[in-house]
Amino acid sequence: MSQHAHYRAAHPLIFVFTHYVNLISMIGLAFTGFFIHYPFFVWSMGLARSIHFMLMFILIINLTARIILSFWVKDALLLGSNVVDTDIKNWLPQKENKHQFLETVKYYLFLRKEHVISGKYGSLQKTAYLATIPITYAMAYTGFALYGPAQHWALAPFFNAGTAAVGGLMAMRMIHYFGMWIIIVFTMVHAYLANIHGIAPTKIMFAWVETKPEGH
Amino acid sequence: MARAIIDPVTRIEGHLRVECEVENGVITDAWSSGSLYRGMETVLKGRAPADAYYVSQRICGVCPISHGHASTKATEDALKVTPPDGARLVRNIIEGAETLHSHILWFYTLTALDYVDVVSALSANIADTYALAEKAGTAVADFGAIQKRLKTFVEGGQLSIFTNGYWGHPAMKLPAELNLIAVAHYLQALEIQAEAAAIIAVMGGKFPHFMTSIPGGTAWMPTEEKLDDVLFRWKTVSEFITNALIPDTLAIAPFYIEAATYGGGVKNFLSWGVFEDKSLDPLKRVMPRGAILDGKLELVQPDVAKIKEYVEHSWYSSPSGLNPAQGQTQAKFTSYDTNAQYSWIKAPRLDEKPMEAGPLSRMLVSYLAGVPEVKDLVDTTLTALGVAGKPEVLISLLGRLAARNLEAKFVADKMGEWIMELIGAVKGGDAKFFTEPTETNGQGAGLWEAPRGALGHFIDVKDGKIANYQVVSPSTWDCSPRDAAGVRGPLEEALVGTPIADIEKPLEALRIVHSFDP
Amino acid sequence: MAQGVRDGIYDLLAARGVSRRDFVKYCGSVAALLGLSEMYAPQIVSAVEAGAKLKPTVWLDMGLCTGCTESLAQVDTPDVASIVLDLLSVNYMETIMAAAGTQAEEARTKTIADGGYVLVVEGAIMTGEGGNTLRIAGKTGLEILKEAAGKADAIICVGSCAVDGGWVNAAPNPAGGKGVLDVMPELKAKTINLPTCPVNPEWIVAMVVDVLLLGKLPAMDDKNRPTLIFGSTIHDNCPRRGHFENGEFVEAFGTEAEVKQWCLYKMGCKGPQTMTNCPSVRWNRRASWCVESGSPCIGCGHVYTNWVDASAPFLSRMTDVNLPGLGGVRPETVGTVVGAAAAAGLLVHGIASAATGRTSGPPMETEKAWDKKHKASKGGDN
Repeated sequence: MSQHAHYRAAHPLIFVFTHYVNLISMIGLAFTGFFIHYPFFVWSMGLARSIHFMLMFILIINLTARIILSFWVKDALLLGSNVVDTDIKNWLPQKENKHQFLETVKYYLFLRKEHVISGKYGSLQKTAYLATIPITYAMAYTGFALYGPAQHWALAPFFNAGTAAVGGLMAMRMIHYFGMWIIIVFTMVHAYLANIHGIAPTKIMFAWVETKPEGH
Repeated sequence: MARAIIDPVTRIEGHLRVECEVENGVITDAWSSGSLYRGMETVLKGRAPADAYYVSQRICGVCPISHGHASTKATEDALKVTPPDGARLVRNIIEGAETLHSHILWFYTLTALDYVDVVSALSANIADTYALAEKAGTAVADFGAIQKRLKTFVEGGQLSIFTNGYWGHPAMKLPAELNLIAVAHYLQALEIQAEAAAIIAVMGGKFPHFMTSIPGGTAWMPTEEKLDDVLFRWKTVSEFITNALIPDTLAIAPFYIEAATYGGGVKNFLSWGVFEDKSLDPLKRVMPRGAILDGKLELVQPDVAKIKEYVEHSWYSSPSGLNPAQGQTQAKFTSYDTNAQYSWIKAPRLDEKPMEAGPLSRMLVSYLAGVPEVKDLVDTTLTALGVAGKPEVLISLLGRLAARNLEAKFVADKMGEWIMELIGAVKGGDAKFFTEPTETNGQGAGLWEAPRGALGHFIDVKDGKIANYQVVSPSTWDCSPRDAAGVRGPLEEALVGTPIADIEKPLEALRIVHSFDP
Repeated sequence: MAQGVRDGIYDLLAARGVSRRDFVKYCGSVAALLGLSEMYAPQIVSAVEAGAKLKPTVWLDMGLCTGCTESLAQVDTPDVASIVLDLLSVNYMETIMAAAGTQAEEARTKTIADGGYVLVVEGAIMTGEGGNTLRIAGKTGLEILKEAAGKADAIICVGSCAVDGGWVNAAPNPAGGKGVLDVMPELKAKTINLPTCPVNPEWIVAMVVDVLLLGKLPAMDDKNRPTLIFGSTIHDNCPRRGHFENGEFVEAFGTEAEVKQWCLYKMGCKGPQTMTNCPSVRWNRRASWCVESGSPCIGCGHVYTNWVDASAPFLSRMTDVNLPGLGGVRPETVGTVVGAAAAAGLLVHGIASAATGRTSGPPMETEKAWDKKHKASKGGDN
């Protein structure tokens, strides 16, 4: 939103880095995932699977690190602000978010004119971001379950129990497959909404270039 | 008047109950009741046509090949795809292997125990047994060792599958030595049927239930080492048929010659034809299409549009008298009552007539159509049994039994030709095996033959999915209950007139049932 | 052990041309077959000596196609004659027994009354139409199963139908076909499930040997499948796996790739989801097996839901998604439509936003709408 400043204080370098890791590993996972689902050109399945595994570990470690860092790293909690506090507070309910969820939905459905007041992240945005955490872990779990049955490793029962609960490996495969589509749709909506009011968010998240409000 | 009831009828595929009215030692009326309903036709609705190939075979574990082929043919008919000639040969060989497997298993494992007294074999003289085998021209085995094995077994007191058999029954007529030969071949047949099944396994992945005759052709690609596997397994099976099955049939038949005087049944015969010729024309099939009506030995062409399936005496609430192309199957059990509903089998009628299906139908139709090898086989056999030039004696219990074994010989010989033809085609290098179906809509029928008789699969495909599916299996024809007009089915009719010596042990009725190989 | 019994078995064996020495050696190979050390051979010897009496067996035909009986007839190690004459006393097995009707029923009821038998169940347990979709001798199939199950030492469910209803159970399951443990879960402690359609006879023999010689059930998973047989996927043991790894796939039937035995993954092979040892045990006396013949695996060993619903359409990578009003739809179609719909939605939204001038930055509210509305009544911030 162009009225707002996008300061580095809101997005410390370490989170720019974790955002990059997220993006790259998700693109790689989707690509290799599609290939494993249906090999659409001649390439090594073994290599595709190895890359898929490696990126999964990177994504999961990155996500876990990002969660831990949120308790240590300080950043701005409000848009256009340089006042910093612990990042986790961004993810907890803020008083700025109160009573804003429906209003935000209304705004995006053209049912209201003004953009709502919120914290750095709106309540809709916050919910969506938080939802990616269990989805990502679930993708890792379902992936392990698909790979797991043949592996006689210590954790196999943990994954096989899930397979039994969902009704077998075919059901598990479909869950994994549709999970990927959820992540793809999320990414599309995320990229769109982040940039609908100008590319300042992209500048700060990718190039770490600040945008100062006009007239300041 | 008394009722003789056989429930369950054993040594068949599936579940059957037979009830007979017996008067003065002769059956005067009979009811055949199919006791199992699984709902295949309903299960297939909404699925992909190729799925019908894979699943509908599971109707019958003894003749899955024929169901698979009928299903695939129905789909190919509906989607207007012609399988290449290589696939035709592969399918013929697989179908032939199943026929041999089924006929061998039927004769020795399922039917022989109605005629062969296993316990009597214990008293056979070994030297006489060898002499008899020599005279009958049938395969010898280590008769002494087999008798000893049998003795140990019987003396052990645990008769296993022979528990409560009809040993010593007055209708058992064979001398001890012939019983011993039959027991020896009973054991050998278990080996040979597996060899025939292994041919299917090589070309179709496994048996029962095979994998390769997918609509459009076959997924199996013949290679040299697979073809010689097929060829030499066929040789083993074929030799057994020539050296044991046929001579055994001729050796046993004279002891049961009175079986040529009853059991003829409805005397209407139907064959859809089986084993494709290069033209893929059903009238030119190796065993061609045709029907015989009212015991008159003249060929007529059956019109599939004139089939109606009646359910007045069956446990279905769907409408009666529908043609299978528009057929419906809605189960509704009421109670078992021979005066009302008494079977899970529908009553199909061709032009209002109950039709017998099976090897006897096929052999009679092929005989009348002038298939030279069939004419030779039948005429030679009639001469051997002293009824030369009288093919009408085949319309009897004995004829039905003999027809099946003669057919095995015919099919075995034909298979040899197809295998050589396939080897030639593969060597030629331009054999094709699959054409991808492209249509997604259409109605079709797969009219084919299972070892036990005429088989029809009817499919309606809409937007690539099965909108309706119906099956009329050989046992639906043969074991059908009465129709709307109260006319008995072929098995019911064949039972009428059969003598029964012991109403508690109606072995003779069992023989009639087994002659249909249900 | 009584000397008499021991002599009894050696007489029995001698009559079959087996010396005591051969027999002990045979027990060694049985131990190896069961994955045990040869150390166990003496234990097996004594187990067999104790069991000089053949084990009575009742084989129930439920809602079946007889394919599993047929399949049993295809085994050669030992051959079927040895199984039904020398190993077991199969007192009731409709498809091959000499007796019929009343005499057959007698054989069954007597064996059940005597107890101490192995029960084999083939076919689905039919529950439709009050159980009358299967009637045997005036009873329903379920009644017969209940009579036979209680006193059995062990129950072996052969084939997918007996395990979970198999294809008979497939939607809409018009005849009410179910598995043995679905209708009688109380039998779980003594039941062995051997899925696939039909059952592989090698497994029946292995289980018979387990039950007879070792007198106990094998290690089994949560679905009562022996783990030695059903512990890994077909895909992992597949001879075509190398081609999978190389990215060499059959793209159409009847092609050179089939001759070269390339991987059938893209043709819809369910090997990656199906856990049986088919590639190593093979079928019909090791003649071949499904994938070797050129067809993709159709996943007939699937449990949890019947294999048809779990694996059809068989020539596609994944099963259809059932959507209300549309029936079965390809998962790829669902995914693509959802993705495309999202993209289209965003495009429309973008155009609408541009048209209403929102892209250049919307007006920001200065006070929350909710606060404005509630301030008056509540009298303050909350």
